[in-house]
Amino acid sequence: MTPEARHWLNLIHGLPLDRTLKIMNVCGGHERSISLAGLRTVLPRNIEIIPGPGCPVCICPEEDIYQAMRLALDERVLLLAFGDMLQVPVNLPRSQPRSLDAARAAGADIRPIASPMDAVAIAREHPEREVVFFAAGFETTMAPVAALLGQDLPDNLSLLISGRLTWPAVAMLLESQSCEFDALIAPGHVATIMGTEEWQFVPQRHVLPAAVAGFTPESLLAAIYSCLRQTLEGRSFLDNCYAEVALPDGNPTAQRLLKNAFDVVDANWRGIGILARSGFNPREAHASHDARVRFSDHSRASRRRAGEMPPGCACANVVMGQIYPNQCPLYGRGCTPRNPVGPCMVSDEGACRIWWANGVRSHRETPICPD
Amino acid sequence: MATSEAGVIELCHGNGGRLMHELIENVIRPALANPMLDTQLDAAKLPALEGLPVITTDGFTVQPLEFPGGDIGSLAVHGTINDLAVSGAVPLYLTLSLFIEEGFEISRLARLMKSLGQAAASAGVVVVTGDTKVLPRGQCGGIYLATTGIGVMAPGTNLGMDFVQPGDKILVSGSIGDHGTAVMLAREQFGLSGSLLSDSASVLPLTRALQGLEGVRFMRDPTRGGLATVAHELCRATGLGMNLWQEVIPVSDQVRGVCDLLGYDPYYLACEGRVMAVVSMSDAPSALKRWQALPAGSQAAIVGEIQSNHSRVVLTTDYGGERILEELENDPLPRIC
Repeated sequence: MTPEARHWLNLIHGLPLDRTLKIMNVCGGHERSISLAGLRTVLPRNIEIIPGPGCPVCICPEEDIYQAMRLALDERVLLLAFGDMLQVPVNLPRSQPRSLDAARAAGADIRPIASPMDAVAIAREHPEREVVFFAAGFETTMAPVAALLGQDLPDNLSLLISGRLTWPAVAMLLESQSCEFDALIAPGHVATIMGTEEWQFVPQRHVLPAAVAGFTPESLLAAIYSCLRQTLEGRSFLDNCYAEVALPDGNPTAQRLLKNAFDVVDANWRGIGILARSGFNPREAHASHDARVRFSDHSRASRRRAGEMPPGCACANVVMGQIYPNQCPLYGRGCTPRNPVGPCMVSDEGACRIWWANGVRSHRETPICPD
Repeated sequence: MATSEAGVIELCHGNGGRLMHELIENVIRPALANPMLDTQLDAAKLPALEGLPVITTDGFTVQPLEFPGGDIGSLAVHGTINDLAVSGAVPLYLTLSLFIEEGFEISRLARLMKSLGQAAASAGVVVVTGDTKVLPRGQCGGIYLATTGIGVMAPGTNLGMDFVQPGDKILVSGSIGDHGTAVMLAREQFGLSGSLLSDSASVLPLTRALQGLEGVRFMRDPTRGGLATVAHELCRATGLGMNLWQEVIPVSDQVRGVCDLLGYDPYYLACEGRVMAVVSMSDAPSALKRWQALPAGSQAAIVGEIQSNHSRVVLTTDYGGERILEELENDPLPRIC
């Protein structure tokens, strides 16, 4: 263990915690670091760390994935998507392809890409094809996508955008009180783009302690300590435990690109519903590269179970922090990374997959090895 | 035209006729140079073996065929003799089957055969018989190899999972995941590249070094699925558990970096020249000393312990936390050996 981690752990264990305190983390990257380091097993037992709505694949509307799949099944189209998206199941009868992966097996040309820039290169390589980039993600992903829209794009490239802002989901959780927590670890990567100030609403409007954290266990432990100490002292402010990277105003260039590329609109979140001013939509100037404008609408809202979670799947509750992954009846039984039922078991940022793949079987299973 | 290194493999190189004969005589046989390989015979006659015979077989499909630190030729030797070595045997003979794709450059085949021959010679094994097939274009990614190894059990060797007991220590002979990562970097997937070398090597010096040490219970080379997968096999077979200690498991900086970037766990990545050994508590320090005295074992470490109070593979993290290392679900890196 690093001396810094030891320092924060000692401070945390020295706090007079007389009740259970719940801290929510928003980002899938945070959840992964916490699970990989086994932090839950070294924190005092009355601290609960709740994974929140920070997985873009998990909250991507089922209709959008269905639309991407329909487009990919069009012979003219070569569909590009982030690898995480390929296995997310959509609600269709068993006789039809039920994920992008299955559509690919049925002959659709679907290729996973790691960076938005790959989309331009592939479109240039295939001038005879309609190349559609299914771009789903939060601010950190949408900033490079915005940079893409700011360029002179090949005519045969269009984007199916499913972009979301992070803070409206947290604001909804706080306003609706649908999930109770005592403090928030704010997402460090989002803050590098949008600025830490964006999270001031948590302590100011909701009087809840908050700390922006980076992605090392050390930074996360510092943020946990800050949250706990604020709670114990009855104070609420926004601490920045990622100050070396995340600035109060964020990255103005990235924000300008986002503003030039997208309108901020009301948007649907899978398992949550419509959140006001939470989605990115390409501006009219980019209509020629907007796949929703270029191709006919495949969303077919009348489709059975359109937009719903699969039967028995509690991903919606997991995303909103209402239950832990292991409290879903399907966790590790009907739903595993190899045979995922819901989106949270598919994505590397989904709480269920992170927990299952890193051997977290129960939020109470601490320590694993009896002394 | 006679078969020379300038050409490419054609389907008729596998038809048993003149071209195949030339290929074997001009390209394959010289690289494997040994008096026991008589290409005129259908089967090799071996001298009587002194000791309990041991046999193993393995297929090799790695992509790319050549990677930093090795190639499919040397790998086809190391993979098979290492299986014999960790069983406590001394490898003696190999058979070699080649499945070559039409259009494969003969110069490249010669290079791979030379590498295979050198790996065999330095491990003291001889290729005694073989077979060559040619497949139509597009069918095997260049070349597949299959080797079968025959050896004899070293006298007094008694290894097996049955001997493993609670309190036994887990040793690894060097950094883990180098081979899997080096092959992945050589593919330049995800826009990544690097200078990491595969650990592909004969583990004979390591297994020999532990000979005669009574407390050695079991050895395995953690290839596909890595250290975690061997740990699981051990736990499943014995009903015992295993604790591994992250702080002391040797992982190179490059492997760690790739794992951080791509979300892989190094404990599941393949090695091709490392040994994991289970050794009694009392003999573990002396086993470690023997390994550390070798160039191949300079990074050897005691990395864990067999437990009787649970039956899982549990990693104690750098932060003192614990997490279960599950059985591998999806292979993150197919075709690495």
